[in-house]
Amino acid sequence: MTSAILRRPRGEAGNATGERKQGPRRLLTRVAVFAVIAAVPPLLFDDYWVFMSAQVLAFAIATLGLDVLYGRTGQMSLAHASFMGVGAYTTYLVSSLGYGLAVQLAAVAVVSLIAALVVAVPTLRLSGLRLALVTLAFGELLAWVVRNTTDLTGGTQGASVDPLIIGQLDSSEPLHAYLIALVPAAIATALAAHLGRTQLGRRMLAVRDTELAAESVGVAVSRTKITAFLISAVYAGVAGWLYAAITGFISPPDFDLFASVYLFVAVVIGGAGTVVGAWLGAAYVVLVPELFTLAGQPNLYPIVGGALLAIVALLVPDGIVGLGRGAWRRARRVRDAQEGAT
Amino acid sequence: MSASVETGAPPVVRIDGLTVRYGAFHALRDVTVSLPAGRISGLIGPNGAGKTTLLNAISGFTPIAEGRVHVGDRDITALGVRRRALAGVVRGFQTVRLLERESVWDNVLIGTERFAQPSALSQFFALPAQWRAHRRATAAAAEVLDLLGLRRHAHRRVDELPFASRRLVEVARVLVSSPSVILLDEPAAGLDQEGRQELAAVLTRVHDNHPSTMVVVEHDVDLVKTLCSYVIALDSGAFLCDGTPAKVFGDRQVQLAYFGRAAGVDA
Repeated sequence: MTSAILRRPRGEAGNATGERKQGPRRLLTRVAVFAVIAAVPPLLFDDYWVFMSAQVLAFAIATLGLDVLYGRTGQMSLAHASFMGVGAYTTYLVSSLGYGLAVQLAAVAVVSLIAALVVAVPTLRLSGLRLALVTLAFGELLAWVVRNTTDLTGGTQGASVDPLIIGQLDSSEPLHAYLIALVPAAIATALAAHLGRTQLGRRMLAVRDTELAAESVGVAVSRTKITAFLISAVYAGVAGWLYAAITGFISPPDFDLFASVYLFVAVVIGGAGTVVGAWLGAAYVVLVPELFTLAGQPNLYPIVGGALLAIVALLVPDGIVGLGRGAWRRARRVRDAQEGAT
Repeated sequence: MSASVETGAPPVVRIDGLTVRYGAFHALRDVTVSLPAGRISGLIGPNGAGKTTLLNAISGFTPIAEGRVHVGDRDITALGVRRRALAGVVRGFQTVRLLERESVWDNVLIGTERFAQPSALSQFFALPAQWRAHRRATAAAAEVLDLLGLRRHAHRRVDELPFASRRLVEVARVLVSSPSVILLDEPAAGLDQEGRQELAAVLTRVHDNHPSTMVVVEHDVDLVKTLCSYVIALDSGAFLCDGTPAKVFGDRQVQLAYFGRAAGVDA
């Protein structure tokens, strides 16, 4: 009985306008959780795992971007790693000219936007697998360009990227790289989380679920799809920028079809359409292959990854996040039923 | 719904010589009819009469072979679905079309697209314009959820709701932006008697608060009589008659087409 009194009444948890509480306390809780998790690698891990964690941060930006495109807008892309490649190679070219942070980021943003338009505009009428196939062609195009511009990009041999220096921080130091990556990752996460509370974010969901209803209330379907592509490409570009700065070396296989597929798998396994799912996906895509390598079985990763995707797609379509939410709902229902019985 | 986009009286909707063909089949044949301004009209007729086709033609969902559609003084025949919606012609669907995995709240908020929207950049980077738009939209959504009695479900996923509530969410999405022309395709389908009466009461209340030119496709004669002050009858893609409910339901041709007999008995 006491528990029923102490418990916050459900379904009434809203402010004057009926919106779910989004007050400072909720926000602070989220920031605190993020800060605590972010503090773990520098405090507890050795340099190698801090280096891996920095990569997780970079890939989290990429999966957050893919989540905007696929998870929210329902547009399937198999070129997301290629968009990372666009960012990484732009970074390489700009930094080899001696330009620093601001110019690098501006160049990455502009080139990513252009690349996104190149893919998004001709494919407006496509969706699902057919769209995925066209995006795949874009990935191949990028690989072809890199292979055939050896003087400029290093071709198949790859290229060494100058470390990013920001004040006292040098991205060739794992801890510094981690700290540098933390800022854009936090910003990307905050913006992606906020997107869900904007009409822009709702338009994306409507385009994903029912284009007819979206149109019937005045949503511009094509413009929404293009916007999603642009956002996801800039996210991927920034991820590529960080990846280049952190690892100091880029080559075409980092951004090939397999890399794109792994990113896609990561988003699906983590839980499409959720910020937490994108983060879980990033951790998966960086750490799991590393664990297989440490275990001496690097070739198992694609096999296990494929099997995992099949299992998730068939049994838990909402990914790990969906699994957690389902368990939470069931627990709540059981609790409600028990209360009803007493 | 406080942030209404249109000001002034709701418009009359005029349909002139409307023909809609699906291949060789005439879904509508030379239909000329007016939806009186600021009233709730019932659109009746047996299955295949062309009721939904007429709604589709008004909302822009189906191509028109011949004829014009005017809203007030404006010819909207050439406009697409989206532009008609932004101009204040908003419809609901016979089959409930919702964002199944999202909350009631978000499903209603999507309907606020007709409000002035800040640029995508303002929205994405949470600039002040976004917060103003957000407050306006949430106030409108809260009002319509209260009106429809959905407030306590606001944060539940729509796929967890019973059918009747899902129907109401669909209606709420249409109503939230206070359109000047509201087209509802069998909003009471699948509801029980109590639900139907509630819906009629809600729609009447909405109409009193925010006058609009409303059209409701409906089979239930009692519901039409309660809700509508004007009725249009179609049969086999052709206009049959229109007028007050008493006049239309008393019409011999309507009785023949609708009830299969001429006796004045409510089906």
